[in-house]
Amino acid sequence: MNGAVVRSAAIALVVLCAALPILLQAIGERQVYWLFVVSEFYVFAIVAISLDLLMGRSGQISLGQSGFVALGAYTTAILNQRFGVDLVVGMLAGASVAGLASLVLGLPATRLRGHYLGIVTLGFGIAVDQIALKWDSLTGGDQGIHLHRPVALGLDVGTPVRMYYVALVALVVAVLLVWSLTQTRIGRAFAAIKDSEIAAAAMGVPVARTKVLAFIVSAFLAGAAGGIYAFLAGFVAPEDFGIDSSLLFFAMVVIGGMGSIPGAIGGAVVVDAIRTTAATVSGLSLAILGGMIVLVVLFFPGGLKGWLRARARRTAHAHAPKAVVTQDA
Amino acid sequence: MTQYLLQIALAGIAQGSLFALTALGLVMIYNASSVVNFAHGAMGMAATYVAYLLITKWQAPFALAFAGALVAAFVLGVVVQTLFLARLRHAPLMSQVVVTLGLFMLLEGLLGLAFGYNPRPMSESIAIKPVILGNLVLRPQDVLELALLLVLGLALAALFAATKVGLGMRAITENPYAAQLMGIPVGRVLAIAWGVGVMLSAVVAILAAPMTSVTPNMMDTIVVYGFVAAIVGGFGSMAGALAGGLILGVVVNMIDAFVAPELAMSIVFGLLLVVLYVKPDGLFGRVQVQKV
Amino acid sequence: MLEARNVTVRFGGLVAVNALDLDVPDRGVFALVGPNGAGKTTLINALSRVCPVTQGTIRLNGVDVLALLPHQAVRAGIARSFQRAELFPTLTVLENLLVGLHSTMKTGLTGALMTPATRAEERSGRARCERVLRDLDLWDIAHASPADLPYGHQKLLDVARALVSEPTLLLLDEPFAGLTEAETPRLTACIAAAGERRAVLMIEHHFELLESIATWMTVMDFGSKIAEGPPAAMRDDPEVIRCYLGAARRRSAAAPSC
Repeated sequence: MNGAVVRSAAIALVVLCAALPILLQAIGERQVYWLFVVSEFYVFAIVAISLDLLMGRSGQISLGQSGFVALGAYTTAILNQRFGVDLVVGMLAGASVAGLASLVLGLPATRLRGHYLGIVTLGFGIAVDQIALKWDSLTGGDQGIHLHRPVALGLDVGTPVRMYYVALVALVVAVLLVWSLTQTRIGRAFAAIKDSEIAAAAMGVPVARTKVLAFIVSAFLAGAAGGIYAFLAGFVAPEDFGIDSSLLFFAMVVIGGMGSIPGAIGGAVVVDAIRTTAATVSGLSLAILGGMIVLVVLFFPGGLKGWLRARARRTAHAHAPKAVVTQDA
Repeated sequence: MTQYLLQIALAGIAQGSLFALTALGLVMIYNASSVVNFAHGAMGMAATYVAYLLITKWQAPFALAFAGALVAAFVLGVVVQTLFLARLRHAPLMSQVVVTLGLFMLLEGLLGLAFGYNPRPMSESIAIKPVILGNLVLRPQDVLELALLLVLGLALAALFAATKVGLGMRAITENPYAAQLMGIPVGRVLAIAWGVGVMLSAVVAILAAPMTSVTPNMMDTIVVYGFVAAIVGGFGSMAGALAGGLILGVVVNMIDAFVAPELAMSIVFGLLLVVLYVKPDGLFGRVQVQKV
Repeated sequence: MLEARNVTVRFGGLVAVNALDLDVPDRGVFALVGPNGAGKTTLINALSRVCPVTQGTIRLNGVDVLALLPHQAVRAGIARSFQRAELFPTLTVLENLLVGLHSTMKTGLTGALMTPATRAEERSGRARCERVLRDLDLWDIAHASPADLPYGHQKLLDVARALVSEPTLLLLDEPFAGLTEAETPRLTACIAAAGERRAVLMIEHHFELLESIATWMTVMDFGSKIAEGPPAAMRDDPEVIRCYLGAARRRSAAAPSC
């Protein structure tokens, strides 16, 4: 797709999102609920992008992304509850803790075969959850931690509308950062190690170091998202971050289409929509998402994004057949 | 003190048999089709619900329900392999992981929808007096688990060594293309491998259902330990899976007794990381070399 | 320039390369030939540090090549192409080449911030890649996905990607295999031009082709060097004929297919 078209569409979308709180005023009291839902979606989208960078772009299976989100959320919550740190500091602290913790996975990842990595990352997510529950002197156990009214760089952002904009800005920043990364040396290295480790090494990419870096960046982003989530919800508890949560993020990346930022966001839209609407019927969202994942793998390997791109290509070919590169003579 | 330790070790071996049986099923499926079945526990669990239905809706005797569950498990394994995995034989590793995870979610979700998440009682608890050996107490359940492990382990070994199907499976593991050229019906052999593998999972699920109830996520913990056991065992050798399972059972019970049950899985994973750091292919695994 | 002495590569019981000596000057096109299984690719893998060497020494302008890790080969001046063009399908053609510059470029995570320094580095990197692509007449597909390209183009790209880092030693593993008649002259010209500025060590089976661009030929069989010299001389060497060209000689003047 034309770069300029994509850019204009993205800007239009951001403007629309920025205008949403104003539009929502029309529905009166319900707007608080919807502001929260969409803000939460923005946070999830950041996590989805972080997981896509790791799994979709760098090819590292990760079934424990919630572990990083939890580390970010809890770090922020603890610092805020005890020392009153503001949103930006808390978020960065959470991101850093998550990034550091990712070495636990990143370093072994350099030596492990694919399925082993999947199981180890699964274990990581479970371990973070268990430790959060058990270490109640630090984390409040199943009682959780309540945060103070959020303040960001001196500004009070304790209203639903203001937190909405915080989340939106965070998402936009995350998208820009990850997008820039993919357009430069490290982002290319991530894709290279996924496509062919041997060729990547032959081209000078230090494969092991790059894998670790992928984990660190992904964890940092997920941790930052966790930090924002802590302030958004005002409360963190272990049940927000279990294996179910990890599977949701996993579903977002798969359904949206791996290796693509719009794909991750699109996947987040679909999965979050299903999750929130089917939340009351036990098992329904899990069944639907599981079914969608299976269908995607079998029939739509590129996910939502791949399917849309294929349709666009077909329409393009139908309208304006260009010269296609063929084998000479 | 030794008394206590022995009791724990015994309980550990009993629970370890469950892990070992799960690992055996996983390794069997992996050896035949090179797929790690993340839906393994869920599939066994689904088969157990068949037993549940047979007992509660049709008042079937336990043995018949058990048999019914095994048949259902076999069919499920065959169906999953032929309908879903067969298409992905040449797809990247990620796709196989993803599809079995999707199946896991689908199965748990469907069963949760159908039966809810509350534990369903399956039969009256069978009150058998525990066996007392010297100072050790053996619950009948433990004995049953160990016995089944032994019997099934030997049966599998026999399957692989002595039957045509078993031979076919081993051939496919070594070289699928050559196996096909030799006239081995790859599709059929894979289907059987999956069928038997899932049957093993069903056996574990039925043993594990605290003899009285089933829930959609009953196998989640066990299957995770099953994975760990399989990895420790090198994810290729059946003997390794067996050893890995038993060792893990003892370790978990030790942690339960001396540290904290709520941290058991975390500690196990920590230990797993250490093991894999020293031996990235598992304790009994063979080193894999990549060719260019 | 490149000095390999007594190089032995052993995999368990199999000896893939057997006490081989090789000298490569700093400029020119040099051919490595031999029947399938002779150990040619293994030797290239050893030189590019993809596979471990059991015994022997390899020095490039005095630098101990065997001390290098696989990803350090490029910085030391050794770049290679693959028998089956191992391109990166996720990236565009241009991006594939840019990966070849990974060792020379410096932008790390600051790339996420798109600083002026990053932008400048990207620009100069892309300019370098553009030059290489234009030389191979491939600039018009710079933004295509390698998976969409015909196999011959993919092989050309594989070579281009190795060239982009301006290596001292360029290792090519059967670069002409899979190319059409129309694509071959492009690659021939490219390799010949490369040979004027650096050393090109190339595995190939196509004898006529080698005779036209290579000045020196090393013949391997069963892991050992059995002969070396100018290509024309190799054609008549009795050892070479016996193990390698024998069948083709009997058939006709056509180049042996592989």
